[in-house]
Amino acid sequence: MLHSSKLWLTRGAKLAALASLVTLAACERPPMQSEQSGYRGTGMVQVVNPRTLDDRAAANTVPMATPMAPAAGPKASEIYQNVQVLGDLSVGQFTRLMVAITSWIAPQEGCNYCHNPANLADDSKYTKVVSRRMIEMTQNINANWKTHVADTGVTCYTCHRGQAVPAEVWFKADHEPKGANFIGDKAGQNSPAASVKLASLPNDPFTPFLLGDHAIRVNGTTALPTGNRSSIKQTEWTYGLMVHMSASLGVNCTYCHNSRAFSSWDDVPPQRVKAWHGIRMARDVNNEYITPLTEVFPANRKGVLGDLAKVNCATCHQGVNKPLLGASMLKDYPSLASGAK
Amino acid sequence: MAMLSFEKKYRVRGGTLLGGDLFDFWVGPFYVGFFGVTTAFFTFLGTALILWGASQGPTWNLWQINIAPPDLSYGLALAPLMEGGLWQLITVCAIGAFGSWLLREVEICRKLGMGYHVPFAFGVAILAYVTLVVVRPVLMGAWGHGFPYGIFSHLDWVSNVGYQYLHFHYNPAHMLAVSFFFATVFALSLHGSLILSATNPAPGTEVKTPEHEDTFFRDFIGYSIGTLGIHRLGLFLALAAVLFSALCIVISGPFWSLGWPEWWSWWLNLPIWSQWPLS
Amino acid sequence: MAQYQNLFTTVQATGPLHDGVPLGPGNSPRTGKQPWVSYWLGKLGNAQIGPIYLGGLGLASLILGVFAFTLIGMNMLASVGWDPIQFVRQLFWLSLEPPPPTYGLEIPPLNQGGWHLIVGLFLTASLAFWWARTYRRARALGMGTHVAWAFAAALWLYLCLGLFRPILMGSWSEGVPYGIFPHLDWTAAFSLRYGNLFYNPFHALSIVFLYGATLLFAMHGATILAVTRFGGEREIEQIIDRGTASERAGLFWRWTMGFNATMESIHRWAWWFAVLCPITGGIGILLTGTVVDNWYLWAIKHGVAPPYPDVFPAAVDPALSSGG
Repeated sequence: MLHSSKLWLTRGAKLAALASLVTLAACERPPMQSEQSGYRGTGMVQVVNPRTLDDRAAANTVPMATPMAPAAGPKASEIYQNVQVLGDLSVGQFTRLMVAITSWIAPQEGCNYCHNPANLADDSKYTKVVSRRMIEMTQNINANWKTHVADTGVTCYTCHRGQAVPAEVWFKADHEPKGANFIGDKAGQNSPAASVKLASLPNDPFTPFLLGDHAIRVNGTTALPTGNRSSIKQTEWTYGLMVHMSASLGVNCTYCHNSRAFSSWDDVPPQRVKAWHGIRMARDVNNEYITPLTEVFPANRKGVLGDLAKVNCATCHQGVNKPLLGASMLKDYPSLASGAK
Repeated sequence: MAMLSFEKKYRVRGGTLLGGDLFDFWVGPFYVGFFGVTTAFFTFLGTALILWGASQGPTWNLWQINIAPPDLSYGLALAPLMEGGLWQLITVCAIGAFGSWLLREVEICRKLGMGYHVPFAFGVAILAYVTLVVVRPVLMGAWGHGFPYGIFSHLDWVSNVGYQYLHFHYNPAHMLAVSFFFATVFALSLHGSLILSATNPAPGTEVKTPEHEDTFFRDFIGYSIGTLGIHRLGLFLALAAVLFSALCIVISGPFWSLGWPEWWSWWLNLPIWSQWPLS
Repeated sequence: MAQYQNLFTTVQATGPLHDGVPLGPGNSPRTGKQPWVSYWLGKLGNAQIGPIYLGGLGLASLILGVFAFTLIGMNMLASVGWDPIQFVRQLFWLSLEPPPPTYGLEIPPLNQGGWHLIVGLFLTASLAFWWARTYRRARALGMGTHVAWAFAAALWLYLCLGLFRPILMGSWSEGVPYGIFPHLDWTAAFSLRYGNLFYNPFHALSIVFLYGATLLFAMHGATILAVTRFGGEREIEQIIDRGTASERAGLFWRWTMGFNATMESIHRWAWWFAVLCPITGGIGILLTGTVVDNWYLWAIKHGVAPPYPDVFPAAVDPALSSGG
């Protein structure tokens, strides 16, 4: 029989060990890879679990490109009817691209996902109308948003990855109070929402910031007050957007910011400028290309408020800092690089 | 001299861990001992290195002086002096000084016939420091993960390390640590108040008794932990705060690489309710 | 470990239970004819639970407080569609939100922060009655009112956060939500909005007193435990008639760090460190947004923000060239 205090020490140690095991069971384990940006000792570091890298690589493999088709021969607009975009491609190039798009968007459903098999030129299926606009959108991103996508660019695959509806899209949230009209309003937050990685922050920061152009910045530019009326609540909305951005790219806040002064542009990582343009690009896509298609889509493709699936950072990035780990598909599909007629 | 009125009879030889009688003496009010010598050595050296590092830096402004750890690229190697090596040497001196201070406290306890609770408690604080500058950097593979030595620069480090996990407040160990810190301050205010209210009673009345102390707290909240219990509780709360702090930082990075809010998914997905959607 | 460290009581002696020092006229009788004895509590401190003094102030405080607590709970339950399972599952995320900024200092609709204001009112009233209780109970026993004044320091911080600062800012929306995770979001957002609270000197001071108080309680708790073999925990006795426990305790610190407190004065150090934490914290809260809009820029202005060498290529704020 152990001496009394020794008994308690043993029991206490066992309890502590058990508690630690329980806590750690919900955790990961070392070793971790870490990469420093910023000056030494500032703590601007990205931490990655190396055991997730294989899954990440698998999820970001680029499909093999078929051999390029010759540019010679009649143009697609001369041979086919109702070719409103991509008309300058040769028939061979055009067909090749159509096959690629099919594999990127609707590999199971095939050509008939968009086309009427009896008349390929027919626009009766909404998917064909949408796809046409999507091609224009892709060309717009690659031509006019090099500030964000550089020469790497995007193709349909970047978002769709073999699915008609991309895995990462968002709909406007219905923030009506659940319980009654006079009590229980969540004010658009205070839920364990996946969009903000389970924080209780506002869970639809996309409507004001990636659809609307509400100000994301909340900090003043002077030490003493000179008219900045941003509220703490507004700051939570910006914070929600930032958490989404971090999670979408698989990075943390210090990837773009030195948190000692989030709003300062003194000695910032270049990624922050990229991100600024990315926000504007997302707004452009949502407002100029997606929202105008609202009447084209059927009801089963719409959210609870009747809106369409829209893009946010996760739609392309899908958890890595550069979509498809930075691989460019544009060199194999140059017709998507611009909307040159 | 620097002796209190009753001190002389306590100044006896003995209680030393190392060195026997060689350093068993006082300088003014300070007890020396072998570990007093090592403390002085590490403190002097470490401080001198800090001052020299400041002299090589851009400023003498007390708030801005910064001795930074090495780049992560040096891994667990010794870095060049001006590229973080100085930080490493200062850290060695700090651990040497803190350890020496602890052992000196042990010698003083032995001399005074006291329990070792104070050096034990100090050991918990040293554990937290060592966790921050040794254990976690080793687990992460680089000394550069330690915090810089500078008044405001160390706060920049705290801020950025916190944001590495998107929202550090969601770290469960951090929540416990903060709760224990607040509980400690709360309990200390109550304990200090209680003693002072008994010994500085209503004007014109007599000093009160422990029965009054107990009665006040029983009247107040239905329970009085008592004169012994409050000291056990206070020590426990304070040490729990520090231990959970050390835990909260050692798991951030080595045992969790994502945002801390996301850690809570295990609760949301418990089998008892995972079949229902989150409303 | 062969030595007993007096951390847990090994043998508990249960004598006649203590009914408390008799109260004078003007006081209610105590509640709890037969106080309980808890063996497990007795391993750490006193085993006796009860009696308690309810009284008018206590009753009022409890009723108002429970009402406020219930309102918070009702709002949380309603926000998950009255589903008790979702209530437990989402509890840490749920909250009662302050109003949106558009209402300023007006009374907003119930479901747009009205409940938050009502709860704030009842909670504040409850705390006010509780404060009065701390004062009265001490006076009824002829003791000093130090507990009441320490509590006042905590109430100062509470009022700064929920009343004074929102009024100064002209908006109830600045108040803190009642919710576990949401109040942490508020804390983070507060620092984000005002340019990093680490650079607020009163925030720094408050942390100094927070950590200092923790340090002091560790030191004091450990010191007393180390001299319990001499009766050190009998602090009142030691204060009025210094015994070997106080002498050794004082000398330990004198020999360690060159100076020491007395058995009474250590409790003054303790009281002030503990009380200065919320006092300076409240000042830091009040100054934020009212007097200072960006603490980092304030620190730059006053020369306390450390410089770092530039490591990134020079970048220009894209909003400047593109016009937002």
